[in-house]
Amino acid sequence: MSVRWDRAAAAHLARRAGFGGTPAEIDALLAMGLEAAVSSFVAYDTIENSALEADLIRLTTPAPPATTATYDLNTTSGIQKWFLHRMVFTRRPLEEKMTLLWNNHFTSGIAKVNDATLILKQNKTERSLAIDRFDDLVLAITKDPAMILWLDNRTNVKGRPNENYARELMELFTLGVDRYTQKDVSDLARALTGWTIAKPDAAPVSEYAFSFNAAAHDAGVKTILGQTGNWNADEAIGILLNATDARGSISGRFLAGKLWTWFVYHDPPDWAIAEIASVYVSSGHSVRAMLDHLFRMPEFYEPHSRQALVRSPVEYIVAPLRQLEAKTDLSTPVASLNPMGQSLFNPLDAKGWEGDLDWVNTGTVFARATYTNSLVTNRGATGTRIDVAALLAGKSLSTARDVVSALADRLGLADALPASQAVWEKYVDSKADGSRGYWTNTPAAVDQKVRGLLHLMLTSPDYHLC
Amino acid sequence: MPLNRREFLFRGVGVATVSAMIPKFAVAGARFFEEYVSSANSGRVLVVVELAGGNDGLNTVVPYTDALYSGTYRKTIGVPASAALDLDGTLGLNPVMTGMKSLWDGGRLAVIEGVSYPSPNLSHFTSRDIWHTADPKLAERRGWLGRYADKALVGTGNPLSGCAISSSLPRTLLADNVVFPAFSNLAAYSYATDGSNPGDASNQVAAFVAQNSIEHEIANRSETIEDVSRDAASSSATLKQVAVGYTARATYPNNSLGQALKLCAEIIVGNLGTSILYVTYGGFDNHSAQKAPHDALLLGVSGAIKAFFDDLDGQGKSSSVLLMTWSEFGRRVQENGSLGTDHGTAGVHFVVGPSAVKGIYGPPPQLSKLDNNGNLPWQTDFRSYYGTILTDWLGVPDVASVLGAGYPNLGCVALR
Repeated sequence: MSVRWDRAAAAHLARRAGFGGTPAEIDALLAMGLEAAVSSFVAYDTIENSALEADLIRLTTPAPPATTATYDLNTTSGIQKWFLHRMVFTRRPLEEKMTLLWNNHFTSGIAKVNDATLILKQNKTERSLAIDRFDDLVLAITKDPAMILWLDNRTNVKGRPNENYARELMELFTLGVDRYTQKDVSDLARALTGWTIAKPDAAPVSEYAFSFNAAAHDAGVKTILGQTGNWNADEAIGILLNATDARGSISGRFLAGKLWTWFVYHDPPDWAIAEIASVYVSSGHSVRAMLDHLFRMPEFYEPHSRQALVRSPVEYIVAPLRQLEAKTDLSTPVASLNPMGQSLFNPLDAKGWEGDLDWVNTGTVFARATYTNSLVTNRGATGTRIDVAALLAGKSLSTARDVVSALADRLGLADALPASQAVWEKYVDSKADGSRGYWTNTPAAVDQKVRGLLHLMLTSPDYHLC
Repeated sequence: MPLNRREFLFRGVGVATVSAMIPKFAVAGARFFEEYVSSANSGRVLVVVELAGGNDGLNTVVPYTDALYSGTYRKTIGVPASAALDLDGTLGLNPVMTGMKSLWDGGRLAVIEGVSYPSPNLSHFTSRDIWHTADPKLAERRGWLGRYADKALVGTGNPLSGCAISSSLPRTLLADNVVFPAFSNLAAYSYATDGSNPGDASNQVAAFVAQNSIEHEIANRSETIEDVSRDAASSSATLKQVAVGYTARATYPNNSLGQALKLCAEIIVGNLGTSILYVTYGGFDNHSAQKAPHDALLLGVSGAIKAFFDDLDGQGKSSSVLLMTWSEFGRRVQENGSLGTDHGTAGVHFVVGPSAVKGIYGPPPQLSKLDNNGNLPWQTDFRSYYGTILTDWLGVPDVASVLGAGYPNLGCVALR
């Protein structure tokens, strides 16, 4: 079985490994062929991205006489804008897509951590290790100040263990639920005692850094997943990540399932998990190697793998901004996150957002429509907006079908159901009283119907899925 | 055989093509809605309040006469015996819960002790799923009230037979053939259209409904999104009629639970035929420095529920409303070294309303009989709790049809 590499397959890869492509980007991927196209996402550290970094320095530095920056990184909305800006304007989409995955996996909520600087630091840690050795990321997160605050390891001390981090380290981060006993939780918590944070007395919370407090560490003998010794936290993490059962590496299967669910579809088949877990083992726990393999698997491109995921609110915000080449100060997008059900950096609990159809309820469907309506109908010169004329430049717009076809291609909906396309054509042809008219290519019609059509397309099931 | 939602939509309006169905759907929806409302006035409403995070039952309903509580397990964060609001001589409410105490004194509060299930799971997420589905084996996809709805509420055509005041739909309400709306803000609950072209708005709404009314040969994700989108459109049309005519007859506390219960009251007073309302209040996972935040949460719960029934009394609606609470587990009996509590097992829950039978159900917490992990033994199966509500409030004739088996009735609900 091999992959049929056509324009639809290239668009599928761009939606999954990134946030969706413009027609020009899809054409470029198509021309590269499968191998090079996958590498163009996965080997992202070779992609020049300095313009993004320069923009972000400018936007996060106060320009006198202003005393606060455009993106104030001391605030939740400031770091939300910073992260969304990266997703919208990066030339390395997979880097941000993976950081978004880790943001929801090794998650910490600002409601409890109560410091944007520490949350941003966690995000940068997740980005810097996003596709390296999984062990390095787990270790870095275990030492991350925001995580130590979020899951209470700061108060996990010898003789008075707090199990919160120990449980989630196994359940949510590395192994999965019920792969351990309550005794394992208790003993792992003991191994993690003394892994805390510290700062100079007068310093603000934002200066918390990892600190090992030997006096608070329980150096006694623990038994973790059947292995007995006076384990410290480093060794305990090694035990978790190297644990095996009859089917091989437990963390390898756990991580393979996570990646498959994030990039392909829900309820992964056992054979696919086993295949990717074997790459985890053979590569020495390299996430990059797992992804490189996954994006080349024929199963990834099968029809049942297409349109099988629901875009998260963040993806639903980022994708049209990229595909419509919108201008944005990210104010409206950030304000729209909470109504859509994803307060970035502030998940309800340690599990992060469940995703998929959990994103879809009547309230969030309307919240999505409210956001995209504002995106496509903002005719002003500021805020989040699109340039309708530029989107249509060079397109033939003689009929309603031409209009639908041009915009469907722009949003990656060229394969939408014929029934959907018929609804859109009928809308483009409708008169103000609802009766049938005929599309005429006038500036007024473009201003009205093209914006209305974009809004319909963006609120169609075809676009909620990806 | 009742029609499922999709069959209702497509057969009920009797059309084959998408383009032809929009106006007819609107008409059919309105007609069914009118019929439903006219018979809704006698309907009973169940309000489910989820206390997310695992509420510490021992500091909520306090075994204040048990020396093990004050002398051993809760030396630091425990409620002093002198402060507890006595219920029966051995158990007392946390002193911040004066609202619940007055509901108790008024004969409207049932306290269900020791609720859990065999081999309790200490994971938030697994235990929460077990509670949502009423299935410790987690073989059920749908929620327990979703399964009820699939039997009892399907085919009514009422887009608001139940709803969640929430930005996400709780799994308890996940059904196969009923879509429960979820919203937290009525003002924003409609399909946005181009403000510069008001004349085109009806075209846009009609096309939105049409692109969500496409028939598929096989069930797929698109179909699910379509069902939800269509339900959003019809429920928002219905809800537009609610906001007029409601004035709160009590002052709700300014917390998210108070505001959500106020919205519940608004819907109840609006007589929309809604029989299930679901509210989530979070923050109960108090692993460290528990006392102040937990007391604040209990104060919020107590004040919001009291205000809710005061409001309903003023509206003449309280007799048709029953409120129940749940939480995924209680906390570890022994307070931890961080002045908090780790995950535990059995917890205490409340049934509130004129039809709640005042009393304490189940034995008090057995602090002398902890399991190997220092957790309370469970005493009351949570399916007994659910089954009692299903039988005695929602009038389900055969509880096994929802829960898979029958469970002992607690006797904590009696119609008044």
